[in-house]
Amino acid sequence: MNKKLTKVIGLIMAGAMTVMAGCGNSAPAAQGSADNAAPAQEAETTTQSSGKAKKIGVLVADVSGEEALGFRNYYEKYIQENYDVTFDYTDALASAEDEKAAIEKFASKGYDAVISLSSSDRAQQIETCEQYGLYYAIASGVLDDEQYEKYKGYEHFVCQIGPSNATEFEAGKAMGEYFKNQGVKKVALYGAFIPNPMHVFRAAGILTGLGCTYGGANDMGAIVGQIFQDQGIDLSKVSGDVELVAYLQGYGDTTTDELGAAIQKAPEAFLSVGMATTFFAQTLSQENIPFADIDSFTAMNSQSMESGSLKYLAGKYSSSIGPVFALVSNAIDGNLIRNDEGNAVSLNQGYLVATDKATFDEYFVNDNGDSPIYNKETLDSIIGSQVTYQDVKSLVESK
Amino acid sequence: MSTPKRIVNALAIPVVTLVVLQTLCLLNGQSVISNMKSFDNFIVYTAIVMITTMALSINLNSGRFDFSLGSMAGLSSIIGAKITYGILSGGNGSAPVMLCISLVAGVILGLISGLTYCILRLPPIIVSLGVTLVYEGIMYTITGGKYVMSEVQNPSMSALTGTWVYAALIIAAVLAFMIITFDKTAFGYDYNALKSGQKVAVATGINEVKNTLICYGISGGLMGIVGTLNAARNTTINGGQLNFGSIAIMFTAFLPMFIAGYIGRFTNEKIGFLLAAVCMSLLNSTFAVFSNSVNATMQSIINAVLLVVFLIYLNNNDLIKRLLKA
Repeated sequence: MNKKLTKVIGLIMAGAMTVMAGCGNSAPAAQGSADNAAPAQEAETTTQSSGKAKKIGVLVADVSGEEALGFRNYYEKYIQENYDVTFDYTDALASAEDEKAAIEKFASKGYDAVISLSSSDRAQQIETCEQYGLYYAIASGVLDDEQYEKYKGYEHFVCQIGPSNATEFEAGKAMGEYFKNQGVKKVALYGAFIPNPMHVFRAAGILTGLGCTYGGANDMGAIVGQIFQDQGIDLSKVSGDVELVAYLQGYGDTTTDELGAAIQKAPEAFLSVGMATTFFAQTLSQENIPFADIDSFTAMNSQSMESGSLKYLAGKYSSSIGPVFALVSNAIDGNLIRNDEGNAVSLNQGYLVATDKATFDEYFVNDNGDSPIYNKETLDSIIGSQVTYQDVKSLVESK
Repeated sequence: MSTPKRIVNALAIPVVTLVVLQTLCLLNGQSVISNMKSFDNFIVYTAIVMITTMALSINLNSGRFDFSLGSMAGLSSIIGAKITYGILSGGNGSAPVMLCISLVAGVILGLISGLTYCILRLPPIIVSLGVTLVYEGIMYTITGGKYVMSEVQNPSMSALTGTWVYAALIIAAVLAFMIITFDKTAFGYDYNALKSGQKVAVATGINEVKNTLICYGISGGLMGIVGTLNAARNTTINGGQLNFGSIAIMFTAFLPMFIAGYIGRFTNEKIGFLLAAVCMSLLNSTFAVFSNSVNATMQSIINAVLLVVFLIYLNNNDLIKRLLKA
């Protein structure tokens, strides 16, 4: 190879690699772009007896995870078959720009509402839906208190139903405490998609549950604030009886190497704030490293629990997003339910925890296939023109 | 140059790399290869880097810049995984069957890429970008943008990268194939003639198109092997790599390619690829040791800096020698 060619190629490659490094390698689980933001499929609507067919767009960032697939199956295979509605899922949304572009496309196609399972920029999602007159609901995660206060009065913001940030923290804390009580002394931690708020709160909870401090702090607010600031967990700031031997986050070209490095440090347990059951179950099982995750009760996780590699799962059941559909459906039909203060509904959902196969199966079997926990009969009790906030609140709190 | 001197020169970079990195690790109370697991990872990564570097250099040495290597690895492995799963449902023998199917799929994809280049007669960099987009689109269509997981998560695939043995066998097989094909066959002689002087070679009657197609076919087949190794190692295949998301795999091969070019002055270039891959794998193992303090972004920057430094040396070694003598 002559020197001139070598120089040119070298300069191009060095520049490209530097730019790529700047962009980061631990990319989100599934990459997309503004162009990908187009709805995954053209909606095929059926006509109601009233002549009005509902069309709901769903924003998703994760198209591969066990939890995401469980949610999708529930909407597309159960709700869609039992109600006159069509759900139109986006491809994997990787950025706030993708989310905005997807909402604009839903609006241009005359959709009635948007349900969000993507959280790059919830504020912008609400603003965009308000701008285009689309009803908007959050089915995964919630706004922080400040954001909720700002947007709760928006005309098209219907609801947020899911674990609150405090619940996320407690879920992580319970996981950390479980392993600390088991006598574990060395753990590895997977931060999933920090700075995604729900993952930040879960990670802060795990540290607290393990009895660790972060930057000298041991309360939720201070730890969460520092993690947001660090955009991850800085191991040099962690101290406590349980040693955090490795930390990784994101999912991309370098994740396998990072996981390999974590395994080489021989942790006694691998704790995750989400998605480990999707990406790492096989490897961790092969290496006989017990792991824990915050995910959902799915068939794949059932296998991991049965094999003994998955020791702890704090999960949602797939039909837990049923009430969000009910409220959106009501809003489209003209019954926009507001809370007692006249604002968008905000309800908390807790996690179910399984540490053995029997408990896991109890939740899994009860929320499976044609008989989900939020089945048609249950949802019908909160769908209709006479349904009130108290009806919805009572039902959600009872599950 | 005498044979012992050639051997010393060829081994200089890997040995210096090992000494420097091991010293760094020892200063922190650790070792580059700390246990059997890290040795397994070391050999598997060596195999991936060596084969990728070979696939890249086959065409690049002839002035054909091929951006589609990553997409060929991804698509061939997805095809291999889907067909294998359809036949064996993740049962015994999944890994070797997937390896064979991916290899064949890679050869076909490489031939399509080469044929496109030969027919269109456009600059190879343009053609390869177009081919990349098409292959990424096919990947996306097959997978719906999702990760391919259940198809590659089985005991057979785990075993493929769970031990150093299979990776070492693959290294030996690929090395032998490349040395025989490029140094001992008529195709190899033609390839080297075309590389050294295209116009003269064509004037002597060498079929340039045929040679190019075989190059693309071999390159694609090698990326099929890389795709399978990556699938086994990552336990997933990313089906959502749109808009050149797959080209990153190519960048892992540039530094070892230049290192191999240097080592190739003293020994067979293919041995140079292996030694360069060993250097990169040592670096990767060191990153694993320091993973808590050197994050992924920092690792990419270190790789880029090393590439630039090495290129500066390659292009100015005569000047450096003169300065040292003065």
